[in-house]
Amino acid sequence: MDIAGQDAELPEIRHRARYLSVLVALTFLGLAARLFYLQIVEGDSYYRMTADSIVRTVVLPAVRGQIRDHKGRVLATMVPSYDVQVLPSQLTHDAYLRLRELLGPDVEGVPTWEAIREEAEKGKDRTMVVAEDIKRDVMAQLETTLDKPGIQVVSVRRRHYPFGTLASHAIGYMNEVSAEELRTRKDEGYRSGDTVGRTGIERQWEPYLRGQKGFERMVVNRRGLRRTDVRIADLVDGPISQAAVPGNNLVLTLDMDLQRIVERALRGSRAAAAVFLDVETGRILALASKPSFDPNLMSRGLSPEAVSRILSDRLRPFRDKALADTYNPGSTFKVITASTALEEKLITLEDKVRCAGYIQVGRRRFRCTKVHKAVNLHDAIVQSCNVFFYDLGARPGMMNRLAKFANEFGLGAPSGLGLNNEQAGFVPTEEWHRAQASADGKSEGFVIGHALNTAIGEGATRVTVLQMALAYAAIANGGKLWLPQIVERVESPDGKVVEEFPPRVRRDVAVSAESLATIRSGLYGVVSDPKGTAYKARSHHIEVAGKTGTAQVYRGGRVGKDDPPLPYERVDHAWFVGYAPAAKPRIAFAVFVEHGGHGGSVAAPVAMEIVDSYFETVVPPEDRSPPRLAHHAGHGPAAGDSRLPSTVGETRPAPLPDPTSPTPPANDDPALPAGPNRKESR
Amino acid sequence: MARVVSWRKLRFRFDWMLTAATLVCISLGLLNLWSAVRERQFHLFAQQLSWAAVGALLFLAVASFDYRVIARMGYLLYGVGIALLVTVLIHGKMVGGSRRWFDLGAFHLQPSELMKVLTIIALAKYIHETPALDGRTLRHILVPIFLAGLPFLLIAAQPDLGTALILALIFATVMLTARLRLKTMAGIALVVALAATPLWEYALHDYQRNRILAFINPALDPATAWQPRQAMNAVGSGRLVGKGFLQGTQIRLRSLPALWTDFPFAVWAEEWGFLGCLVVLLAYALLTLWVIKIGREARDRFGITVCVGVAAMLTWQVAVNIGMVTGLLPVVGVTLPLLSYGGSSALTVMLALGLVMNVSVRRFAY
Repeated sequence: MDIAGQDAELPEIRHRARYLSVLVALTFLGLAARLFYLQIVEGDSYYRMTADSIVRTVVLPAVRGQIRDHKGRVLATMVPSYDVQVLPSQLTHDAYLRLRELLGPDVEGVPTWEAIREEAEKGKDRTMVVAEDIKRDVMAQLETTLDKPGIQVVSVRRRHYPFGTLASHAIGYMNEVSAEELRTRKDEGYRSGDTVGRTGIERQWEPYLRGQKGFERMVVNRRGLRRTDVRIADLVDGPISQAAVPGNNLVLTLDMDLQRIVERALRGSRAAAAVFLDVETGRILALASKPSFDPNLMSRGLSPEAVSRILSDRLRPFRDKALADTYNPGSTFKVITASTALEEKLITLEDKVRCAGYIQVGRRRFRCTKVHKAVNLHDAIVQSCNVFFYDLGARPGMMNRLAKFANEFGLGAPSGLGLNNEQAGFVPTEEWHRAQASADGKSEGFVIGHALNTAIGEGATRVTVLQMALAYAAIANGGKLWLPQIVERVESPDGKVVEEFPPRVRRDVAVSAESLATIRSGLYGVVSDPKGTAYKARSHHIEVAGKTGTAQVYRGGRVGKDDPPLPYERVDHAWFVGYAPAAKPRIAFAVFVEHGGHGGSVAAPVAMEIVDSYFETVVPPEDRSPPRLAHHAGHGPAAGDSRLPSTVGETRPAPLPDPTSPTPPANDDPALPAGPNRKESR
Repeated sequence: MARVVSWRKLRFRFDWMLTAATLVCISLGLLNLWSAVRERQFHLFAQQLSWAAVGALLFLAVASFDYRVIARMGYLLYGVGIALLVTVLIHGKMVGGSRRWFDLGAFHLQPSELMKVLTIIALAKYIHETPALDGRTLRHILVPIFLAGLPFLLIAAQPDLGTALILALIFATVMLTARLRLKTMAGIALVVALAATPLWEYALHDYQRNRILAFINPALDPATAWQPRQAMNAVGSGRLVGKGFLQGTQIRLRSLPALWTDFPFAVWAEEWGFLGCLVVLLAYALLTLWVIKIGREARDRFGITVCVGVAAMLTWQVAVNIGMVTGLLPVVGVTLPLLSYGGSSALTVMLALGLVMNVSVRRFAY
């Protein structure tokens, strides 16, 4: 290294560094001059432009679309509502006491005076909502008598469900977005305080209903007052305002008249579900699940105690039992076993099986409901003879044949409605049973008993209530398996149709018209034959066809009359699935009562009541007297089945064998004229 | 040779003036940051405070051992810097369309900041080892052009035009002070001017071109001209004495992007007015001129060149940053030394000032 004294170049560099000092000083002087120009010479004009001004962006909420039923009645809408807000820093104790008095004891959740003082400590500009959705008269009183600073009544919009608990699972409810969702759904534009559809239509159709928020930017001063002397364009980049776009309206296929009838008819059941469909379109006319909830209360936000109370309710009010739960179909599955047998040519219509009340397979005894003696297929459906179907179940390869036809009727796959986490259900196969056995090592693999159980709708088969209604609709309409629909069309806020959803066939079920007709005649017999399992529940106005089902829940053996009643969770499920009118089906339905007991005595009467009221009050008068099989046997669904007219002919005018029937014989008079007279005759 | 690390020397010849000027700048920066972030992003203030502490330690550490050790390792350090720049181009974190940062978890390292100091050291080492009594011509400048050109291109490729520009300005300043002939400098300038046309056409990104165009003619693109207009609004509205500490309204608009890194001076100017701006400018002038003074008292060419380089870095960053805040220059993203929020920037400046302190402590032959 050089020693400084010997470096001849160093003084020269030092000399130049002096110039650098001058350059640096000049640079800073230049900057100071520029600042002088901006801040002193032009300062006042800049100050005027910016002083004391804050750009505030006001979010303009979008009005959420309405949900209406098929007849245009509003099921969900936005209504104005009034909240009471206070400025804690300005509220006096007197004013607070007076406010409490005016709100009355009914208004819950009013914060204590201490809580308000605490909030006041946090800042001058804070506001607090003390009461939501107050009544109009309270509001009027507040506005007139309470001339106190720090209290304001603010107008907001709230979701309102005019029908309350009716169809609550289908329509759904809304509540505030969670902090978690604010993170995960950021790009969808949700902000803190927004509400979002939680279940049902409100959730599934959220993007259609929601609309688009708008905004308006304005210049305000420190006190929040709007300034007009500053051009907002000088302060902000991009657009200054954007109008909110209201959400679209939905028109549902539901008919609230029918829905009301359905939920009324279920009044005696603790937990139940029911689906009513239009046989010719696959549109859902009523969709009920019980217990229901009031979406108005849900949307207002529940206290944690209320939430835990509902969640621990063993009737599971939040679960949509028509879609989100699956059950054994029980005997309602026998139509599929029958289709399989007919299509695979395993039996003829004349083949009889002798029912001795049970069938012995190896060391196991499979029981029937009673001793039916010799029964053919028709009798077996009418009387729900298990032994007949056990016999079919024991045929070679029956397990997978049943699975094939179950799939054909739409079981084991989601129906495509997509609402409320709709389940696919399950259709077991031989392979599944074998896999099951190798998986847990305990079960026995596939044995013939599995096929026997499956043939009568027990075993591992699981279905949703909607799936059963769709399958029976297909039987009723000659084999069209519909894609179920609950939304008929989307309308813009000014009423223009944005999107329409025509009925869609999911599949033509590969079962011949003859086989379906045979099954229909059996289903007709279930209700109209005195031996039929739903005969006691039959309607005297409308001819209904259907199948009862009693799905076993607890396999603890039979309960004798002297045994103590089973606990709720062990009682069988009751089914009644069918369609009406039998001669010319218009609606198909599935009524399911969870742990209700016997299908014929629990579910069937409910279904009959619904069908009766529906045709009596909802259907237009000119359609109220549908053709009856009893008169038009030759053209009925059982055409070609020679036994039906005779069966009907024998049983119809014969209420006598059943003295318990409350029906007066006059009602079965074939000469009774149809139409408006019906009501009087009742 | 004396002991490499000498606390005694550091203690006896400690440059209080340099330290005081540095501390003043840091304090002004923290005060300003407090106003900018206290409401919503207080953690930024805490972070900056910790970086200031780390910077102070770095300052003392670098000052403690003989700078000739650093000179000896000059090219090695330079090589490490180049390697970092190459790596960041490949593995760096992509932010806003450019790769400038290493994501080290809590800390984002920006190697281009560090590279400015490393380039100064390399240039100083070269000038130190190649005396030229009759002034420097093209022959003497080829290696320096390479030394500064390589990082320049790597940084421009990130792309980070601001830092590349500062590097070029440091290079020019250092070479001119090291007695580069004016004729040679003019020649280079001519070549650069001629090369600028194709560069403008092909090398610049659209957004960079737009920024420069928007600066020349603000009406051209309101979206790109908007940023500097906001900054000017804030600065101008400060008038003589400002709106008072924590009273700025423009920052509350939350509309200035890169407020704490690129535009802290706008916040300062709004709240403290022209007088406050003069205080900042004086602090910078004092610091920079003192660094040059230390350089002129240095015992060798390495020492003086390092000081000149650091002074150039400080001056040009201040000039470009305040220039863009006051609408004199396009917005190119250059930090304001010691006032801007940012770890890489703060640590780099403290490292540079540590080197200057080192030169100051060892200015006399032993």
